[in-house]
Amino acid sequence: MSLGVRDILNKHKLMPGTSACPGCPENIAMRIISTALGENAVFVVVAGCSSVIQGMGPNSAYNYPILNVAFAAGPAAASGIAAAMRTKGKNVKAVVWAGDGGTADIGMASLSGAAERNEDILYICVDNEAYMNTGGQRSGSTPIGASTTTTPSGKRHNKKNIPFIMMAHRVPYVATASVGYPHDLMEKIKKAKEIRGFSYVQVLCPDPYGWMFEPSKTAEVAKLAVQTCYWPLFEYENGVLRISDECLHCLDKRTRKPIEEFLKIQGRFKHVDQQKIKELEEYVDEMWEKLRLMYKGNLKL
Amino acid sequence: MMEKVISGNDAVALAVKLSRVKVTGIYPITPQTYIIESLSEMKDRGELETEIIRVESEHSAMAATFGAAAAGVRAYTATASQGLLYMHEMVWWVAGSRIPVVMTVGTRAVGPPWNIWNEHTDFMSERDSGWIMAFASTPQEAMDLSIMAFRITEDERVFLPMMVGMDGFILSHTKTRVYVPSQEEVDSYLPPRRQPYVLDPEDPIAMGNMFSPEDYMKLRESIHRAQIASKEVIVEAGKEYMKRVVPIGSYSTLNESYKLEDADYAVVVMGAWSLDAMQAVDELRKEWLKVGVYRIRFVRPWAEEEVVKALKDKSVLVLDRSVSFGRGGQLYTEVKASLPDADIKGVITGLGGVSIGKNEMKAIIRKFVERPQGIEWFYPKEVGKIELRSPRYIK
Repeated sequence: MSLGVRDILNKHKLMPGTSACPGCPENIAMRIISTALGENAVFVVVAGCSSVIQGMGPNSAYNYPILNVAFAAGPAAASGIAAAMRTKGKNVKAVVWAGDGGTADIGMASLSGAAERNEDILYICVDNEAYMNTGGQRSGSTPIGASTTTTPSGKRHNKKNIPFIMMAHRVPYVATASVGYPHDLMEKIKKAKEIRGFSYVQVLCPDPYGWMFEPSKTAEVAKLAVQTCYWPLFEYENGVLRISDECLHCLDKRTRKPIEEFLKIQGRFKHVDQQKIKELEEYVDEMWEKLRLMYKGNLKL
Repeated sequence: MMEKVISGNDAVALAVKLSRVKVTGIYPITPQTYIIESLSEMKDRGELETEIIRVESEHSAMAATFGAAAAGVRAYTATASQGLLYMHEMVWWVAGSRIPVVMTVGTRAVGPPWNIWNEHTDFMSERDSGWIMAFASTPQEAMDLSIMAFRITEDERVFLPMMVGMDGFILSHTKTRVYVPSQEEVDSYLPPRRQPYVLDPEDPIAMGNMFSPEDYMKLRESIHRAQIASKEVIVEAGKEYMKRVVPIGSYSTLNESYKLEDADYAVVVMGAWSLDAMQAVDELRKEWLKVGVYRIRFVRPWAEEEVVKALKDKSVLVLDRSVSFGRGGQLYTEVKASLPDADIKGVITGLGGVSIGKNEMKAIIRKFVERPQGIEWFYPKEVGKIELRSPRYIK
């Protein structure tokens, strides 16, 4: 790829003066993603931090046409936009921008419906693993053991693996990314934009306030999530899985960094016992075993 | 213009086609399902240029329709009952965005208990959402109002969505004679799509993001003022419709009066049973009872001036096919608010498909004139004998 700093600075798709908190991973994600997306996109933003980060209407810090909609409405609204653009003969990508609450919980039916119809839209889930906009309550995407304001002693159930659910829909493109690896994320978004049909990209967005770490450490935590193999980076294109170079080492458990390194840099796992760490490790192992089989071509979702 | 014998659902589907709707989000729910089936069949036969999005819920049906409309094209959907309640959140989202959208509501009871038959509670529950709300009394009117709806909603004095109510089964499924306009006639009537904002990368505006309390309240006031301004737009659209499209009908006013000029008593109704009320009035007039009918066609905007003018010197009986529990019928409270000092009585009847015809209407009106006590809830004779079977211990 040939994106130099000058190109990035000239895009101006994320305007100054957002209402994001210091160290906000979604703000970082929007800067990276908008750089990759460029022009000819319409954003559908569902309820969440991103409804606030864009700032007070009628102004907006996102230099895209934006339709803010109700929590569960994103994929359906984007389907309507895509249909309208087709009838107008315009080549414009409808992009849904939603958090993990809007994706794993309340928006699941609408997301699944749009995937089943193979709508020509790009769905981006910025996953900060809880309802951060309302102050850090548990979502379907919160990992086991993590304490949130509604699971003060730690969540008892595993994270809902939405990329796997989306792969099972057999849509043309599913990818995971992390704000810790901007180039990887940019490449995936560029590819997703060119896909005709439904594409899904889930971006891990470590949140300094909900995860309880220093706001200056967002990128570091996002990197550690990948290095410890807690968060995989892959893309699934027309039934073929590719593991990003940054986490090829995760295919073999012996070359992974211990997950404790990821857990101890943040406050939300402070109270977990060995049993919970073991359960979290089992979740990670099982996920990687599936990915390994898919990578070798021995499993299709 | 040609004459056809078709159902209310058919008439609405034809209206959607003739209005050159570009996108429709569809989801099945009784009794409007035939509209979306009919549209799908027309699409399959190549008679319809509309993009159909077959969504997974009513919430998404309204969301998809809203997305398409926001992106600048004519968009339509239909629903009923539980479906309307399920999409309630998005119904508000559309009006709050001032985006023109048209929807049919094939009215039906809301559960529990399950009941697929007609009443108006689902429709009336959206009174405060900001939508223009018309209610048809015949399949002809369902079609006419649906076509007019695009012109009304896309007028810059309005820029609000509009729903057209139609009695489930009574209109949706009953076939009758309907004058169907030609494509040329409708084309000459409907101007190209207009709307206040369009999603377009060349002009990246944001819709629906956080507003300051002051701006939010201003927007709320603008919706209120647009509702009031829509009254003259509706009358203009109605007159023009009779001139260019279908020359029958009575669209030069929001609501309709029948034999009210010399009447001492007025019966206020809405929807299909207005015609039963008119028949009842015809027969009661032979008994020298001076009674007329006032038919509500627009619930929003509320035609305050028309209502006051039509009913001010009369004893008024309002029939409601819906109920606001603990308060009474919705139409009753609306009429009462317009005429606080008038002699007004409200009766709730016909809920969940309880059959009210000409004879029941006559019985209700006679009771009203004779002034007995306790006629707020009216059951036909044969229903009155039945005891409530469930829940078991409620007397």
